[in-house]
Amino acid sequence: MFVALRSDSAPVRDRRRDPVRERLASKVVIEAEIGSARAKLVQLIERVGRSQDRSAFKSLFEYFAPRIRAYYAKRGLAQSHADDLTQEVMVSLWRRAASYDPRKAAPSTWIYTIARNQQIDDFRRSSRAQQIDEQDPHFHLNDVPTQDSLVERSEDADSVVQALSSLPEEQRYVLNLAFQEGLSHREIADRLGLPLGTVKSRIRLAMDKMRVSIGEQE
Amino acid sequence: MSQRGHLLDDAWYMDYAAGTLRSEGEEVLLSSHLEMNSHADGRVRELERVGAAVMMMSAKDSDLPFSADMVLDRIADLEEAPTSEHAPMIPSEPFVPAALDQFLLQKNKDIHWEFLGPGLRKAMLWTGEDGEKLWLLKAQPGVAIPHHGHNGSELTLVLKGAFHDGDQCYQAGDVEEAGPETEHDIRIDEGGECICLALTRGKLRYDNPLLKAMQVFTGL
Repeated sequence: MFVALRSDSAPVRDRRRDPVRERLASKVVIEAEIGSARAKLVQLIERVGRSQDRSAFKSLFEYFAPRIRAYYAKRGLAQSHADDLTQEVMVSLWRRAASYDPRKAAPSTWIYTIARNQQIDDFRRSSRAQQIDEQDPHFHLNDVPTQDSLVERSEDADSVVQALSSLPEEQRYVLNLAFQEGLSHREIADRLGLPLGTVKSRIRLAMDKMRVSIGEQE
Repeated sequence: MSQRGHLLDDAWYMDYAAGTLRSEGEEVLLSSHLEMNSHADGRVRELERVGAAVMMMSAKDSDLPFSADMVLDRIADLEEAPTSEHAPMIPSEPFVPAALDQFLLQKNKDIHWEFLGPGLRKAMLWTGEDGEKLWLLKAQPGVAIPHHGHNGSELTLVLKGAFHDGDQCYQAGDVEEAGPETEHDIRIDEGGECICLALTRGKLRYDNPLLKAMQVFTGL
């Protein structure tokens, strides 16, 4: 998952107060935390899939449901609508848990795709205009949190957030408009008053940088 | 263009990953492309990780108006209800990707080939808002579609065979994106027939007056 900075590749140094070493050490700790958080989520999903384990489901619910609902709300869905869709996602989680393959996607990525598809299906059933308030006045440029504001370590998402926060602002902003506000690349070009080619190249540059720092999903 | 065959701009993969594609036509074309092209699929997976990170970083809503128990009750109710049987999959032609197959099944649409020009056939599949059209193009080996452009935009996914546009070669799983400024000079490769899934907005624009005259009949 990480390109470098694994415990076994850390250089051996004697000095006690070595800042490089300290940074490496904390990175290793973070990695271990992320690894165990992820393993725990995988186990919970597998328990639901294998034995319809209600308590495992409740743990997953507590972890994911509030975030899914907040995510829908940020995308401009009315509260009751966000509530309904979030419950649908949790129902899907229950039903599809048996088919979850941890080698293909981290738990959060798997649930994210369920949430996204749920919204698309719902969206195709009704008209777009009724659902999205594109002039949402509550939008802020700094909505993508920096690493410091992380409260909980959440497996894969963590390294991606780090990579996001290291992007130049104009590139991060474009990804933010897409994933948080739900705008297509052409809508982003309209919103920012930029040529389509400029928006496309910002996305390309952002993804080239992200690829280097987040690496492949193991 | 990418060195790994012809991929789309990351912008399209981002739209797919963020769930912001504009129409069902775009969704089925992109899904078919991802099914056929593992590099494109890999890009979408990276972008889905970005989407997941953004979702996980959303400030948690502390009090939900529903609980895990309520959802579990609902699941129990749903499981008691008789589930509707899925319609058996009708085996369709081998060149049709599963995503397109499912789309056609859902729209209850058969592939019906019509004359488009010498060595060319088309099958209209779907028409969206603002004149967007999803259709199949079948071309015989060696057929040329000389200098033409579009008044709108176009995405073309190769399902079978290959074609050249100028000096660029497009093979099964590749997509070509064209805008109003793009000029095409297409020749189908000699190896075999070529079938493409195309999504177009706006009419084709031919320099050749003969092809222009024929446009009346083809509807494209």
